[in-house]
Amino acid sequence: MVKVSTPVRWLLRVIAVGYVFFLVAWPVSLVAIRTFEDGTEDFFGIFTDPNTVGALQLTLMVALWAVAINLVFGVTISLLLVRYEFPGKRVLSALIDLPLSVSPVVVGLALLLVFSGRTGWFGPSIEEAGWQVIYDSPGMIMATCFVALPLVIREVVPVLTEIGDDQEQAARSLGANGRQTFLRITLPSIKWAVIYGVVLSLARSLGEFGAVKVVSGNITGRTQTATLIVEAKYQNFEQTTAYSVAFLLAFISIACLIVVAFLRPQHEEA
Amino acid sequence: MSIDVTGVTKTFGDFVALDNVNVSLPTGQLTALLGPSGGGKSTLLRIIAGLDTADTGTVSIEGVNATKLPPQKRNVGFVFQHYAVFKHMTVAKNVAFGLEIRKRPKDEVAARVDELLKLVHLSQFSHRLPSQLSGGQRQRMALARALAVEPTVLLLDEPFGALDAKVRKELREWLRRLHDEVAVTTVFVTHDQEEALEVADEIVVINEGRVEQVGSPDQLYDEPANDFVMGFLGEVTNLGPMTLRPHDIEVSTAPLLAGAVEGTVSRVVRIGFEVRLSVLTVDGQEVMVVLTRTHSRSLGLVEATTVWLTPATGAVVIPSMRPALVG
Repeated sequence: MVKVSTPVRWLLRVIAVGYVFFLVAWPVSLVAIRTFEDGTEDFFGIFTDPNTVGALQLTLMVALWAVAINLVFGVTISLLLVRYEFPGKRVLSALIDLPLSVSPVVVGLALLLVFSGRTGWFGPSIEEAGWQVIYDSPGMIMATCFVALPLVIREVVPVLTEIGDDQEQAARSLGANGRQTFLRITLPSIKWAVIYGVVLSLARSLGEFGAVKVVSGNITGRTQTATLIVEAKYQNFEQTTAYSVAFLLAFISIACLIVVAFLRPQHEEA
Repeated sequence: MSIDVTGVTKTFGDFVALDNVNVSLPTGQLTALLGPSGGGKSTLLRIIAGLDTADTGTVSIEGVNATKLPPQKRNVGFVFQHYAVFKHMTVAKNVAFGLEIRKRPKDEVAARVDELLKLVHLSQFSHRLPSQLSGGQRQRMALARALAVEPTVLLLDEPFGALDAKVRKELREWLRRLHDEVAVTTVFVTHDQEEALEVADEIVVINEGRVEQVGSPDQLYDEPANDFVMGFLGEVTNLGPMTLRPHDIEVSTAPLLAGAVEGTVSRVVRIGFEVRLSVLTVDGQEVMVVLTRTHSRSLGLVEATTVWLTPATGAVVIPSMRPALVG
């Protein structure tokens, strides 16, 4: 490594720490400070408001569904990308990264164009079949799935590539069929990558705002998620509630990050 | 015949890996598929195992047409060059894998694993993870794992290729002894002619996707079908219109025999007990000759000595097909 003189080293440290402090640590801690300004009463107060509790439950339900769906499709698509050659593979791989670069609002609008009950390309026919997608949970789950799509895949693909298919071939030659090979050989090898991807997806899904706002219609008490209620309460001058819910969301995300940090060393060993 | 390969062709894009290969491998023997890297021998082995599929042709194992069978239905044991150990399982679990897949009773599995680990001298390591084993031990474990399912044929793809020279030699001898003990039809791929000559009952020489010759080690060495086989199994040189081995050339310092080729020693290299001469003949051909240190000294060979070369009696000689090459 190149040697850097002591003053320069200190300067670099101060810049890095200062940048993170002013951009992340200070603002987030202010949310916590505001939440607990008048004791813990305000914070626990949010659990007595039926609209807020409903929003938290809805958020959790949407996030869990989105994570479950992304888990299944994420692992399947990862296997497809790493183990098989097919035309359009590079296009698929590029498309998977799209949610990282496209604004969630665009995602919401796109879903609206396809599934909207009145004007959507596909919406009226499924609405006739009795399915409400837009302004209801299916649409919100779809939007959340979309934004969290790459997280599992981007964790699993490098691990799958690294372990190669030798072990899978050995399992096949020893008499294991496709399902047995996957469950006994592939899955244990990618276990930590999958868990890591799931935790990241969960954090991302809980915090999704833009896409969900567009497709949910933001109907209080019905399709309002935790992030949406933060905005609504803030605009209604119920700042304390807004801070409390915001703190809860931040707390869950930080807890997720701690879990990840805890898992990481084992993940690298495996 | 245990394995019959008929008319197998396999291409990867423009590259022809196997070109209409026909070969029959006998039951109970240890057969080597020998050839240079990229010659198609591993592809042939993988097609026999079902890990690759042939474009055309059929494979039958013990009289059963296996061409369309997936690998798990062929009952073959396969050992990979890079071991392909199950990293998250202990040594004992690795060996037990095939039996557990077959839903054998627990005590039967335990007994069989025990027996196999004894066979490959890994009993004391049964509870270790593969990462705690050396390369040679991992490969022995992989062999035990493949043998556990009592395969009809055992296929080994460059099994010792990733090991260092000393372990390689030990395992090679050990494989030969193991085969004499369990007597399962075994096919192994190697590019090392010494390994093939030492271990195999029968050798199939494969080059550029074609079978060049099939025979016992002695047959291949003494009666090579063509100059490729001859060249691949040992050093060769050209003397006049023929190809022969450098140690099969007799050197004399006087024109004693009719037809002897006259030349001048242009270079002398001594490697231990062996002396290598480059002889430039009067026709301008460079011939390599190998003789023992003692023999060379008794003839008093140094650079610029004039010598007469003749093929030794009983030498393997084939007409050279290539223009006289250097060496």
